[in-house]
Amino acid sequence: MSSVLIPGYNVLMRRSVLDQRWAGYVVAALGVLASTVVLKLIGNHVNAATVSLALLLNVLFIATRWGSLPALAASIFAMLCFNFFFLPPFGTFNIAATDNWVALVAFLITAVTAGELSARATRRAEEAEVGRLEIERLYAELRDAFERASHAEALRQSENLKSALLDAVTHDLRTPLTSIKASITTLLDEARGRVDGEAPLALDAESKMEMMEVIDEESDRLSRFINGLIELAQIEAGELQLRRRWGVVDEIISAALLRAEPLTRQHHLEVDIEKDLPGVRVDERAVSEVVYTLVENAAKYSSQDSMIKVAAQRAGEESIQMSVEDEGQGIPVELRERVFDKFFRATRDGDISTQQPSGTGMGLAIAKGIVEAHEGKIWIESGAGGIGTRVVFTLPIGDE
Amino acid sequence: MTDQARILIVDDEPQLTRVLRMGLKSRGYDVRAAADGLAGFEAFTDWHPDLVITDLAMPNVDGLELCRRVRAVSQVPIIVLSAKGEEKTKVEALDLGADDFVTKPFGIDELLARVRASLRRANAPATNDKTPTILDSGDFHVDLESREITVRGKPIHLTPKEFDLLVYFIKHAGKVLTHRTLLTALWGGNYVEQNEYLRVFVGNLRKKLEPDLAIPRYILTEPWIGYRFDPGQ
Repeated sequence: MSSVLIPGYNVLMRRSVLDQRWAGYVVAALGVLASTVVLKLIGNHVNAATVSLALLLNVLFIATRWGSLPALAASIFAMLCFNFFFLPPFGTFNIAATDNWVALVAFLITAVTAGELSARATRRAEEAEVGRLEIERLYAELRDAFERASHAEALRQSENLKSALLDAVTHDLRTPLTSIKASITTLLDEARGRVDGEAPLALDAESKMEMMEVIDEESDRLSRFINGLIELAQIEAGELQLRRRWGVVDEIISAALLRAEPLTRQHHLEVDIEKDLPGVRVDERAVSEVVYTLVENAAKYSSQDSMIKVAAQRAGEESIQMSVEDEGQGIPVELRERVFDKFFRATRDGDISTQQPSGTGMGLAIAKGIVEAHEGKIWIESGAGGIGTRVVFTLPIGDE
Repeated sequence: MTDQARILIVDDEPQLTRVLRMGLKSRGYDVRAAADGLAGFEAFTDWHPDLVITDLAMPNVDGLELCRRVRAVSQVPIIVLSAKGEEKTKVEALDLGADDFVTKPFGIDELLARVRASLRRANAPATNDKTPTILDSGDFHVDLESREITVRGKPIHLTPKEFDLLVYFIKHAGKVLTHRTLLTALWGGNYVEQNEYLRVFVGNLRKKLEPDLAIPRYILTEPWIGYRFDPGQ
């Protein structure tokens, strides 16, 4: 009943019972007995070779399933049955003919040897299986340990990155602050008319004005830096709010160039916008910011009187492409992706020497964020004839 | 100081060099500026300034390398401009021979005070020339031969090592001395990591010298860096 109701349980039970060694002896006895009965039913004159092979089969089966001792028992029992039932005179343990003795001994040796060999093979297979399981277990342990280690390593790297970013940010905040503090304390000393130590204070009007200009410029720089940080943080959090509207490429570029005019006065500016460009559905202010950043970089990192080219054209059916090109010293191929990383400065971190102070390391990172938020792409290539830098970006035209 | 003292400023921040140049000029110093260590060292060899003010992080040749190069050829005072968080580099610069440091952002007064102190020290009569037997510095009077010391007119008794440490302090008054510098000078190169030696001896010296242990006025601690000795007036 229970086997019907709980078949799984029953199978388990059967398996565990059959796994016992004594079960091997029982099966050995029953198997040999059953074979003997079947052979006897076939007839008294069954060939001795057939009988011995049939009984051997029992021994092999027992050896494979239960090992050498039950197999040995099966061999002896089979030998006795062979002698009693199949070797004349039947029904006794006596043996009439000498050749039958030989057959019996040969049977016993064959049975015992075959049983032992087969049991050993099974044991080997089992050992191999245990070995395989052990290797799998070790492998899993190793993999877990490795995963834990890589997790720790990733955490450590992320901590290192954070502290490198913090260094970069504090440096950029502190630098303008230092100039401001030094200027303002000089002006204060002058205003208070303090004369300390041996050197009398003599600030002429021009120096005073210059100091105030420094304070003004450096405050703007701080403010720009902080705005940049906020913008970057928004981009990284995916919170850049694009106000997409249908706009005209000419206007976007003009707005950027107007803003950049004080920076490009010393350069020759060439603007090449393809005729009949379609309108684009973008955040005009943001795209104009990208163009401004690229023009600012171009002006900053190329010499006076050199050419800066701003171009816009169609790129296939669904996008337009804009580019800003300068005749500066260019950006080595290996740095062309890294310059888009935030706080990376080719002039400081990339071993490019220049007379220009390095920027904030945020302009290109923000530009990339804006372009990618529009589902466009931005990259750097060499300028015409391999001279200078050409920064190119694409923008989908938009379909609504 | 009767003539204009020459000060070389080395910093890659044009705005800061602009301000410092004006600030120092207004105090009667003759000032030149360089944008990196390489240009700085060139200006140094051409112009022979009386004092060098240098930033630490700069392109090409940085402040540390500049200190090393300048020290290889000259004893002119070097003031390092450093930032909070650059303690390790700052100590390295001081070990390489820089005399003092100012932490950014700083007021012009602080920088000017350090400049004056450094120049004063550099212009002090060279006491090392003819093995002097008497050291007079502020509140301290030391007879190097009889190894007797009076502070504010009162004789004090020091152990030989305390005496050596105090003499070293007096000879380098006003200068920031790193733990390593002091340990090397007094105990030799094998003891550069034994900051606790120094702490014990400085503690003992303070007990014998300082009028108020809670506010030391002679042996001043520069946190994480070392000590600065002020001989008083």
